[in-house]
Amino acid sequence: MSRIDDILSLVDQVPPFPKVARQVMKMLENENIKVRDLADVIQYDATITANILKTCNAAYYGLSRKVTSIEDALVVLGQQALKDIIITSSSVGFYKGKAGAGYLLEEGDLWKHAVAAAIMAQLLSPQFAGVDKGAAFTAGLLHDIGKRFISGFVGEELKKIVSYAHGEKSSFIEAEKGVIGISHAEFGALILERWDFDEEMVKAVRMHHNPLALEEGGLVALVALSNTLVISMGVGVGADGLAAPMEGESLGRFGITHELLEKAMSELWFELEKAEEMINLVK
Amino acid sequence: MKKIVGISDMQIGTDADDQLITYSLGSCIGVVLWDPAVKVGGLLHYMLPDSNIDKVKAASKPYMFADMGIPRMFKEMYKHGASKNRMKVYVVGGAQVMDRSGIFNIGKRNYMVLRKMFWKNKVMVTKEDVGGSVNRTISLYVGTGQVRLKVSGKGEIDL
Repeated sequence: MSRIDDILSLVDQVPPFPKVARQVMKMLENENIKVRDLADVIQYDATITANILKTCNAAYYGLSRKVTSIEDALVVLGQQALKDIIITSSSVGFYKGKAGAGYLLEEGDLWKHAVAAAIMAQLLSPQFAGVDKGAAFTAGLLHDIGKRFISGFVGEELKKIVSYAHGEKSSFIEAEKGVIGISHAEFGALILERWDFDEEMVKAVRMHHNPLALEEGGLVALVALSNTLVISMGVGVGADGLAAPMEGESLGRFGITHELLEKAMSELWFELEKAEEMINLVK
Repeated sequence: MKKIVGISDMQIGTDADDQLITYSLGSCIGVVLWDPAVKVGGLLHYMLPDSNIDKVKAASKPYMFADMGIPRMFKEMYKHGASKNRMKVYVVGGAQVMDRSGIFNIGKRNYMVLRKMFWKNKVMVTKEDVGGSVNRTISLYVGTGQVRLKVSGKGEIDL
C-alpha cells in the first residue's frame, strides 16, 4: 500500500464524534426544544456533562451563582452558549496530548489555536451575512482537526516539507500536500464528512488555506479569515509559521478594514483570557 | 529565573540569572532592551500599532500597543537605572501571512510605528530580524546580555 493509501485508510479509523453531541446539536436546531428533553440526552455522557458544568462555572460566562445541573446550565446559558460548550467539550478529546507534535506544536497548542479561531470566527461573524454564530464557532474549532490525524506523517517528513516549501517558494500547506500527498485541510474535510457535518462546514474546513477562500464569502471566508488572523497573532503556530497565503482583496466587500481587523485581534486577546477554562480543558 | 513574557506584556529583569523569553512572535513585535552597565534588561511583546482603535482596552493593556507600550517600557528601564545612550536595542517579529493586497500587513505596520518612534527619539537599533513569513521566539539573558533568536524552520542563533 502506498503512503497516501495508508493516510486515507486512517479516515476509517478516526473515532466517531461523540453521539450525544450530534444528537443535541440536532435538537437545538429546533428553537422550541424542551430543556428537560435536552438534559435527558446529555446526562448519558459523563464527560460532556462534567465539562459543561466546569465551563459554565468558569469566569468566561460571568455567572453570579454556581451551576450544578445540566438543566440549570441550559436555563442560565441559553441555547447558543450551550451549543458552543457542547461542541467544545466534545471536541477537546481529539486535541489532547501530543496532537500537533509533527508540526512542532507544544502540548495544548493545537487546542489553543482551535479555541482562538472559534472565538475569532464568532467575533467576526456579523460581517458575513447569513452565517450562524454557532456554525462559525464550530467550524473555527474544527478547522485544523486534520492536523491531529496526519501529524505523525508530517513529523516524519518535516525536513522534506520545509525544504520543499523553501525550494518551490510555496506555502507550508502546498509543501505538505506535495510531500505526503494530502493537506491537513483536505484530510480534516474528510473527517468532518465522516462525522456527518453539513456540506458548508466541510467546505469551510477544506478551503481554509485556499488563497481564494475569501472570495467565496459565507462560512468559507469567515473561517479562512479567522484562521489567518490567529496565525498572524502567533497563537498555536508551529513549524508552518506564517507561510500561509491568503488573498485579501475581497475583504472590502464585507466592510472589513484594517481597523476592524485590529479591533478584532485586540478583542480576541481579552476573550482568550476569559476563556482560560475552556483552554485548560485539554489538560 | 525564567520569566515568560506573554502577548501584550512587558517584563524587566534585574538579576544576573534572569532569562526573559517570549514565544511565538508572528506579526507581533518583540523589543529587547539591555543596559550593560547596570545589567538590567527588558522584553516587550506588543501586538498592534495604534491604541486609538480602542482607548478603553488600551488603558487596561498598554503593552498591547506600540504607541503606548514602547514609551512605557523605556520609562520602566530608566526607573531601574538604565540609560538611553548605553542601551542595546533588539527588534524582532513583524512577520506576515502571504497576501498581495496588504490588508494583513499588521506586522509591517507594527514595525513602521516603531521605526518612526525610534527615529524621532534618536534610538539606534543594535540588531533586528523582522518581516518574512516566519514565527520567532526571542530570549535575553540579563546577566550577559546574550540574545537568542529561534526562527520557525530555521533553528536557533545568537542575535
